[in-house]
Amino acid sequence: MFQIGFGDAGTIIVAGRLDAAQAPKAQEFLDAITDECILDLGQLEYISSAGLGVLLRTHKRLMSDERGLKLINVNRHINDIFMYSGFDKLFEIEAAV
Amino acid sequence: MRQKFGRSLDNLQTIVSFTDQFFAQNDIDDSVRYIVDLCVEELFVNMVTYDTETDADILIEMKPHAHGVEVTLTDFDVVRFDPRDVKPVDVDAPLEQRTPGGLGLYLVSKMVSSIHYEYRNRTSKITFIADR
Repeated sequence: MFQIGFGDAGTIIVAGRLDAAQAPKAQEFLDAITDECILDLGQLEYISSAGLGVLLRTHKRLMSDERGLKLINVNRHINDIFMYSGFDKLFEIEAAV
Repeated sequence: MRQKFGRSLDNLQTIVSFTDQFFAQNDIDDSVRYIVDLCVEELFVNMVTYDTETDADILIEMKPHAHGVEVTLTDFDVVRFDPRDVKPVDVDAPLEQRTPGGLGLYLVSKMVSSIHYEYRNRTSKITFIADR
């Protein structure tokens, strides 16, 4: 089950499994974002390359106006995927405590 | 354990349930679960996306292997595509040079312990080992 929506103080909560079947839903939501924002990934269990593409596409669009995405509460497995993908050099990332 | 899956992204959740069942029935370290999920999805999605001239279901087989899992995906009536031949990804490139796409098979190559490809009689068979 994948869910994406606004939490407290405008933070975007991403939860569940962000796979190739769910990527269009995530992209549709994030396409409406026009300002820099924080994605709380604390409840995100899984992300594949399709989900990485959604994050990268959104981040590039926002960074063209010197905005961007910040990713917080990233679990160990997903942090590994970010490092393999070089996303740790592209995004501001905070690992889960 | 083996099961065939129709060529649709809608079946990804069914594949996760299949993997749940395999892990529940076998004493396999949970640390390899993410590797199995990710590699199966990337390879399955690649087959569904690029092997569009067939309607044949894709066969997924899993069996315990040493400290992990051996997984085989078999795609029938397709052209040859060796996932080991994909272009490398420059993960050190700056943001302006990065484009979405192309990461899936790269991640597979980085995360598996080994990967084997066989093509015979228009059948593609990819086997990988995921272990600790």
